[in-house]
Parts: sequence; structure tokens; C-alpha cells
Amino acid sequence: MKHIVGLLTTNYLSTSQSEITSRRPLAALPVLGRYRMLDFALSNMVNAGIKTVGMILPLNYRSIVDHVKSGKDWALDRKHAGLFYLPGTPYGLARRGDGRFLLRDFLDNRAFLDRERDSYVVVSGGSIIYNMDYLPLVEEHIKSGADITVVTKPATMETSGLISFSISEDGCVKDYKKGTKPGDTAFLDTFVVSAEKFLELLDLYQALDHLDLFEAIASEKTLVSVQAFEYDGPAFPVFSLQELYSISMALLNPELSGLLFDWARPIHTKAHDNPSAKYEPGAKTSYAMVSGGSIVAGTVENSILGRHVVVEPGAVVKNSIIFENCIVKKGAKLDHVIVDKNNIIPEKTELKGTREHLAIKEKQMRPPKASEFVF
Amino acid sequence: MLLAGGQGSRLLALTKNVAKPAVAFGGKFRIIDFALSNCANSGINTVGVLTQYRPYVLHSYIGTGAAWNLDEDDGGVSILPPYETESGGSWYAGTADAIYRNLDYILQNDPEYVLILSGDHLYNMDYAKMLAAHKKNNADLTVSVMPVDWSEASRFGIITKANDDAILKFSEKPKEPDSNLASMGIYIFSSKELIAALRKDAKDEKSSHDFGKNIIPDMLAHKKRLFCFEFNGFWRDVGTISSYFETNMALLGENPEFNLYADDAPIMSNAPTTPSQLIGEKARIENAIVANGVRIYGDVENAIISTAAYVAENAEVKDSILLPNSCVWEGAIVHNTILGERSVIDPGLVVGSDSDETTVIGNDVIVDKEYLEKLIADGKAPRPSSYKKAKSTIKKAVAQKGGGQK
Repeated sequence: MKHIVGLLTTNYLSTSQSEITSRRPLAALPVLGRYRMLDFALSNMVNAGIKTVGMILPLNYRSIVDHVKSGKDWALDRKHAGLFYLPGTPYGLARRGDGRFLLRDFLDNRAFLDRERDSYVVVSGGSIIYNMDYLPLVEEHIKSGADITVVTKPATMETSGLISFSISEDGCVKDYKKGTKPGDTAFLDTFVVSAEKFLELLDLYQALDHLDLFEAIASEKTLVSVQAFEYDGPAFPVFSLQELYSISMALLNPELSGLLFDWARPIHTKAHDNPSAKYEPGAKTSYAMVSGGSIVAGTVENSILGRHVVVEPGAVVKNSIIFENCIVKKGAKLDHVIVDKNNIIPEKTELKGTREHLAIKEKQMRPPKASEFVF
Repeated sequence: MLLAGGQGSRLLALTKNVAKPAVAFGGKFRIIDFALSNCANSGINTVGVLTQYRPYVLHSYIGTGAAWNLDEDDGGVSILPPYETESGGSWYAGTADAIYRNLDYILQNDPEYVLILSGDHLYNMDYAKMLAAHKKNNADLTVSVMPVDWSEASRFGIITKANDDAILKFSEKPKEPDSNLASMGIYIFSSKELIAALRKDAKDEKSSHDFGKNIIPDMLAHKKRLFCFEFNGFWRDVGTISSYFETNMALLGENPEFNLYADDAPIMSNAPTTPSQLIGEKARIENAIVANGVRIYGDVENAIISTAAYVAENAEVKDSILLPNSCVWEGAIVHNTILGERSVIDPGLVVGSDSDETTVIGNDVIVDKEYLEKLIADGKAPRPSSYKKAKSTIKKAVAQKGGGQK
């Protein structure tokens, strides 16, 4: 097997305009309590034995770098190889969720590919929740002799974020369109290409550098052979707040999250030094994910709590997602709410959304003081 | 210098194959996390860890010390096991002997002060304050002390002090204590005095080479400047099953005696990568600490559920500690029990008594009816409280073994 390197692209925002998803890069969106979206693709790379990962950053990279830092939690803090932060172009943010594989971003970072000339490159976006073994993908790619092999999965729902392919009988990609409908062959934003071929393609498409790689390929279909590789594990694309919500709720199901969190291929995330979650006498919890440092004294039902969230006595959190460093004060009631970081929900506040129209509490800049977490 | 070589034999089955400092505590932690975190939080970046008994789990857990920010170029963590010299080798004979035999390490780092700690104490302390007192008193040795119940005083090294905190008398486990200030086994020495005292003690064939029994009394007798430093926070030496159990339980409740949630100095740990904890639809959890990677589908009350442990549907865990990766299968009832790492309670089994006696199950055991009967017959576990009295809804276990992450 040839050497494999990873390339993770994070230079894009959400297509939806909600504050929670539009302020931060989609790859840095907190999910399932203690993860960020990019943890999944990055862990997949590391779990495939990949030791060199380039990460193309958006201009607003603070939250990504704060999360990944030296790559230590993914064992990517190597003396040789390891994690390489690659600057993305400003253009990424302008195109929002559209264009995860901008040619400009790749062209600006040719140096990374030049160094890895003899390797295969597994390229992934940072907004799919999945746990995939990349090795069969690379093997299949080598066997088929295609220029590019893309990871696909039959779409089960309508999305606007993903793109879908039409595939010929021999598994070749014939055409592509934006969005998926049930039954379409959805592109999971993951592909493999040899570095050599990748560099060739970059030369070929240099004049079209304002396009996404796949837009460029679609414009001259005969030039590049693209093979599809179907992935049969769980995959959940998150491009909007609605998708974040429905997927989070779905993953409260033990069977589904059991499939995702395969113990043989752990999803790594930034380690925090907080004590384990604590449940007080009188607490009621069911169907919940509760993260470290959190204290539950009230009721938490069908909900996900990030790190360091306090639900005070008499407070009720239902069908909601609460990001890290929040306090739900005594008697407050939340139903169908997404609470972004650093919020204090005052006593007896009632916030109620619906599945279609979630109530939102936007991020506060300053986390509550340690003394405020005591009730 | 962190003394982490003890077996902790009174922790029975829990330390059968791991050293006491590596025993899990409070959900995600291991006991040594507290001393290492205190060092890091106090600005100490050079830590020698003296190990001896069953060191593998402990060594691999400490690793480079990175988890406690102690992977520094200048200093960092060094593991110091007993070693052979040209004149032979032997095990560490006592606390002072262990330090004496690592004098090279101290000389090489050439510190002004040496802090000597136990790897098996649970507390959150800023050693910088103790060092400031040591310097202010121009002391040769400062001993950290805390007031204990008079009834307990004869279990400790007891210190009688003057108004200026100078130590007047030190008595190891006195039958009739004249003070209730107990030594916490935390010492700051001025290096020169430590080296001199250790060299002198090493030559004394009658000495048992122990700080409490030999070094401190000898320094006192020779009119060295010995002071004490009073600590008023939570501190426990988890020497016995009951103290281990009680200290875990002290983390629980709305105003816990041992509060890990309201402190600016975080206890750090080398926790493994596990998924988020997942609480099932029919779960009931009250008064518990639940770590990452845990799945709970049954009832949990007054309990510590450590990393990646599993409580199946219709199972009941009460007044108990589940250590990492342990598992209570469907319909099992576990009361007043410490369940070792990776150990499994068979479906429908009732373990533990509502009497005072804690049932201790070691690591890597599958507890079925036969195993439990043998433990009871050997006097290693109390007979479970009446099977009838236990939860009335025990269903015949249907859980499939080998499911989940197991």
C-alpha cells in the first residue's frame, strides 16, 4: 500500500443564515455535546493510519485552531509529518457552503502536495458526521485505476448542502447536481486521488480557479475519470441548523449512535480537564447526552448538553441542545431550543420553539464566572 | 518527589494487579491525578515519580506527563523505579530510602527545595502557599498538617506546635495524642538539609528509613528548623476500602464535601477517548457521577459510574462504584459494591448487601452465580440482601452477552 496523506477542507460556512451556524466555520460547529464537526473526518484520517494531514482553514479560523491546536488529541503532534495548517483564500467565505473543494485553496497550497508527490491524498470536507475506514476506499481507487474516487451513499432525505452524482453502470460519475433527493447518489464530500494526478488537475484547471474542483470537472467531463465508491455506514451531513438539530436528536437513539461510535475506531476530540458529569438528588434524565463538567439537578429529556452546563433544580430542558458553558437557572423551561455558548437562562424563563421553528439563544462572548455555576 | 510505589494492600482486590495510585477514582480520574495536577497547578514542573509495586498500568498512565502539562523540556515527569548498582540492588525499604536512592536525580536537577508527596492522597492544594511559608520561616523542613477528629488522632503522625508554627513534638500514631494536628505526609525540605538527613539515615542500620519514624524525629532532636503549615481543605488518604468508598461518595450531593466543580485549579487526567455518555429512555439517575463513554439504561442512585461503564435495562446500581469499562447486565441488582475495571455482573444476579459491608469485586472478573457463591463461601463478600427484598420488577434476564462495546 502506498503512502496516504489527508487533506481536510474547512474553508466554507453554512448555507443557512442562522447565527449559530453562520458565525463560525461549519467545521467548528459544536455537535453531540463534546465534538466539533471536523472531529469526524479528522479522526477517520488518523484511524486509517494517516500521519500527515493538511487542514485548509477559513479566514475566521480562531475556533478551529483553538479546538485542534497542535493536533495532540489526534496524535498529530509529530516531529515529522503531523498536522499542517494551510491558509484558505477569502473566497471560501464568500461562497458560503457551496464549494468545499475550491481550486484556489488547493492551488495556493500546492507546496503541501508537492512534498507528498508519491502519496495518495484522501480529501474530506468537515461537515459530515461519519465513521469511515478510508483504507478500502484507497484500495478500490488503486484497483480501478480511476483518476479520482468519490465516496457516495444513497440519499435518504432531501438536502440542499450536498451534491449528488449520476452514475453510469460501470460506476463512473457522469454528471452532478447541487442538492439531493431521496434515492439520489449523494456525494459524501470525501474523495481520494494520487498527489501526482491532483497536481496535474490543478495545472489543468488553473484558469478556472474560482470554481470548485467538481464544478471544473463537470465542465469538461471527458477529461477526468471519476469512480464512485459506496459507503454503507452511518453518515449525517450537517449544513444547516435544522440538520444539526434533527441529526442530534436522531443520534440520541442508542442503536444509531452505537453504529457511529465504533469502539474500534474512536472519534477523537479536544480533551478538557473537567470532572465527570454530575447528577443531583431529584434529577430526572432520559434520552440524553451529557458532557463532562455538567451538573444536572433539574429535568433533562431528549436533549444534548455540552461541557460545563448546569441545569439547576426545577429547571426543565426538553428537546433541546445546549452548547458549552451555560447555566439554566431554577424554574426555567426550555423546549425545542438551541442555546449557544456562554448563556445564562434566567430563573423562570420559558423558551419554546417547535421542531420546524426552533427557538435560538445566540452565543454570548463572555463565559459565566466560576462562582455563577454554584446554585 | 512523588511516592507512588505502595501496594495499597488494604484496598484488597482493587490493587491486585495495579498500584494504588493507578486505581480509578471519581468517574474519570485515577488517584495519582490529584498529586500530579496539584504539582502542575502549583507551578512545579519537575516531578520524579517513585514506583515499585505492579507499575505497568501506572507507568503507561503517566506516560510523558503530557496530560498534566508536565511534558516539559526542562524537568517534566521522570519515573523512578528501584534499580541495580554495581553493588547489587534491592527494593525500596521505606519512604526515606526511596528518596535516598534517587539522590542522583535530585542532585542532577539541583533544586533549592524538594517537595515530597504521596501518590495516593486525594485533595486539591496549592503547594506554592506552603513553599512561601517554608521560605518565610526560613525552615529546614515544613510539614503540611490538618486538624483531625480527636478520636482519629492516634491513627496519624501527630504534631504539637508553638504559636509561630514551629514543630515542638512529632509522635507517630500516639496512643494518647496531645494535639489533633495530623501530618498529611507532605514535606518541603530545603535541599541541603534533605540530602544531609538522608545520607545520615542511610548509614543507620537500625533505622527503618521512614520520614515519619526516623527522619523527622532525628531532625527535631538535632534542633533543626521544623515548621508546620496548616491546610484546611478536603484531604483524604484512601488507605482502606471504606475510606476509598467514602471519599468517592464525598463527591456527591449538592454541597459535596469534596467539590471538584467549583475550583479554579482543575484536576487533570489522562482520560481515554470515548464517546459522549448516553442516557437511555428508561434510565433513572439520581445523586451520581457519570463519566464519558458510559451508557445507562437502568436505575442508578448514589453511585459513581466510571469511564465507559455500562448499566443495562432493568438493572439497578445503588450505593456503589462501577470502575472503568465495567458492566452490569440486564436485571442485575448491585448494591453497596465496588465493581472492578472490565468486570461484568451477569444478568439478573443480585450482588451486595444492605449491611455495612462493601462487596469488592476485582478487575477482569465475570461475576456469575457460581463465582459469587464462592466469594461468599470464602468470606470475601457478604451474602446479598434477601433476593425477595430486592427490586420487585426483576425480569428474567434476556440481555445478550457480548453486545454493546463488549
